[in-house]
Amino acid sequence: MAPTYNIAMVSDFFFPQPGGVESHIYQLSSKLMDRGHKVIIITHAYDGRTGVRYLTNGLKVYHVPFLVIYRSTTFPTVFSFFPMFRNIVLRERIDIVHGHASLSNLCHEAILHARTMGLRTVFTDHSLFGFADAASILTNKLLKFSLSDVDHVICVSHTCKENTVLRASLDPLMVSVIPNAVVAENFKPYRNPGEIPKETFGQDPCPARPLGPHDTITIVVISRLFYNKGTDLLTAAIPRILENHPNTRFIIAGSGPKAIDLEQMIEQNVLQDRVEMLGPIRHEEVRDVMVRGHIYLHPSLTEAFGTVIVEAASCGLYVVCTQVGGIPEVLPSHMTVFAKPEEDDLVVATGKAIAALRANKVRTELFHEQVKSMYSWTNVAIRTERVYNGISGAISEAEFYGYDASDPATWSATRGRSGVQSFALIDRLKRYYGCGIWAGKLFCMCVIVDYLIFLVLELWFPRDKIDICPDWPRKTVDERREPGVR
Amino acid sequence: MAVIGWAKSGLIANNLDHRRQNAHHPPHLYIRRPSPTTAEYTVTTRPPPSLTLRLALVSLTTLRLVLFLVALLLLTTHLSLLPRPVTQHPYLHPLLASPPYQALVRLTGPPLPAWAFAAAACAVLYVCFAWQLHTTERLLVLRGLGIQTSTTGEGVWGSWRPATRFIPTEKIRDVLINEAFRGFEVRYYLVVLVEGEEEVVVVFPRLLPRRRIVEAVWRGVRGCLYEQGGEGRGEKG
Repeated sequence: MAPTYNIAMVSDFFFPQPGGVESHIYQLSSKLMDRGHKVIIITHAYDGRTGVRYLTNGLKVYHVPFLVIYRSTTFPTVFSFFPMFRNIVLRERIDIVHGHASLSNLCHEAILHARTMGLRTVFTDHSLFGFADAASILTNKLLKFSLSDVDHVICVSHTCKENTVLRASLDPLMVSVIPNAVVAENFKPYRNPGEIPKETFGQDPCPARPLGPHDTITIVVISRLFYNKGTDLLTAAIPRILENHPNTRFIIAGSGPKAIDLEQMIEQNVLQDRVEMLGPIRHEEVRDVMVRGHIYLHPSLTEAFGTVIVEAASCGLYVVCTQVGGIPEVLPSHMTVFAKPEEDDLVVATGKAIAALRANKVRTELFHEQVKSMYSWTNVAIRTERVYNGISGAISEAEFYGYDASDPATWSATRGRSGVQSFALIDRLKRYYGCGIWAGKLFCMCVIVDYLIFLVLELWFPRDKIDICPDWPRKTVDERREPGVR
Repeated sequence: MAVIGWAKSGLIANNLDHRRQNAHHPPHLYIRRPSPTTAEYTVTTRPPPSLTLRLALVSLTTLRLVLFLVALLLLTTHLSLLPRPVTQHPYLHPLLASPPYQALVRLTGPPLPAWAFAAAACAVLYVCFAWQLHTTERLLVLRGLGIQTSTTGEGVWGSWRPATRFIPTEKIRDVLINEAFRGFEVRYYLVVLVEGEEEVVVVFPRLLPRRRIVEAVWRGVRGCLYEQGGEGRGEKG
């Protein structure tokens, strides 16, 4: 019988807000619950959503009331979350705290407090950051602080791992790569000819049939229209692509501050009949928009993983994307055309994709099955579970970190001799002290204050005064998957 | 003074009790079932009865009575309210003439303005009369009729307005246990959903007893309200 854990996923980003991190947390949590673990989610309060909620699969969500400052991240008050966090952790009997997203202040605080309380912590990084500008330097310092004392880090791609290891000065051995996945059933390609309303332009014929030389090719872009998503690149490239390829249309879905630039571009070039702006769409509508197109264009400037291109490929779209971040790792080369993140190359790459489709060289109808076999959330959950086993000592350090790593000669100083990080305050302080000349001392102060607050809380709100939550009956995993056993 | 006496007695009662560790009493649940279709759930901070507690209560009541009478007497003396035949009464005269009482009269006399003394005396009178030692909240369930919640608070103002609310059965949509953030913690509480009202009615809103009590009450209420034959009967006591 494999050990099961009580896991708290902590992040600023969760539903009702749409996004990649949000659905990652949700999917991972539900699959972990299917494997017999207990999972709760701690996030901040959204409009009209404060307090304790249950999702339909029994997933419990704590919407903690907090001040939101920018793009739904909470105000960084290092200690204010502690009393509430401790209460939740104790009443739910949490063993492992799993934080998500490096911009989420709630997650960093939770990792710090969890270590003070003697819990195992895991951090999943979903994004890439630069090293040069002021905001990045600040975020990186914060990341270094909170990751100085974390048991394990998960990154969504190898590029992301490299980035995180450099930003937070981590031992690469304690960083695992577990990619995102997609629910392939939700992203089936277009099969039924009556499915798309005739009045809007969309793909006709469907991609299973060969494409004639004068058939219209539809290019889909679904993205939040922010600078980092490459909307400026898109604004510049669209008129040129449409000029070069007469039978081409664009469908753009999503909203954001750059939407106005796109609209201006459409008006200036009089492209109203060739570019359709759908505005914001819900995640469950993404598939219906995608299947209207032949090509998915992804102009992002930075991307750790890019779930959306997997979704597009699963819908049977040929993917044109910029070769940045973790994107080259995501899909096999026969599904994608890569471009450098610049206007000219993007136009050329889109031209190549259109030509390849017109020549019927791409077997897009096979993409769905291929993606389905590559990405599944169950697999992500199994790999995440292995990380939990590794940090809690359920599997040996040699098995978890690799046999050569468990050799004492190459053993990292940050990890204890037991293969898992020591909770002793002095050991924790040693880890924080190495963060920088001034920062190290500041961080040590923070950790000491945090520990003192912990002691005060133990006196003020004693543990036996906190009610324990009853658990749902846990699911049991059937490893052999025998049909008819249950 | 009354407060100190009460706290001390509470501490002693607790130590004898061996079930509670600190001076502030966690709420207790008492269930009364006068008939199979009626149940009364009382949640109170009053500790379970014991000899020490009774002694403490008796001495506290005596103390309150004495304090009350002394304040009353001082007030009447200063304001010269009592007619001469009364002050010269053979039972009262020795007390009024006794040195401790005279000292008290001098202490509360002229340097202190008369109005200040009068106000203080009135306050003492009121506190002695109206001080509530415990918070008590009740939930009365009557099958076929409805449920009634009532709250009596602790302290000086507690007895002013015992908040009582009756909800008829046909207005009750559901009775359930919910969780919510309160201060720095997440608490369980019992709520009644009332037909046609936006706000839920929280049962035991002041004490917010712990999950064990809330669950017992919830089972009992549902048993008494909806189930035939009074299935909650086994949980008596």
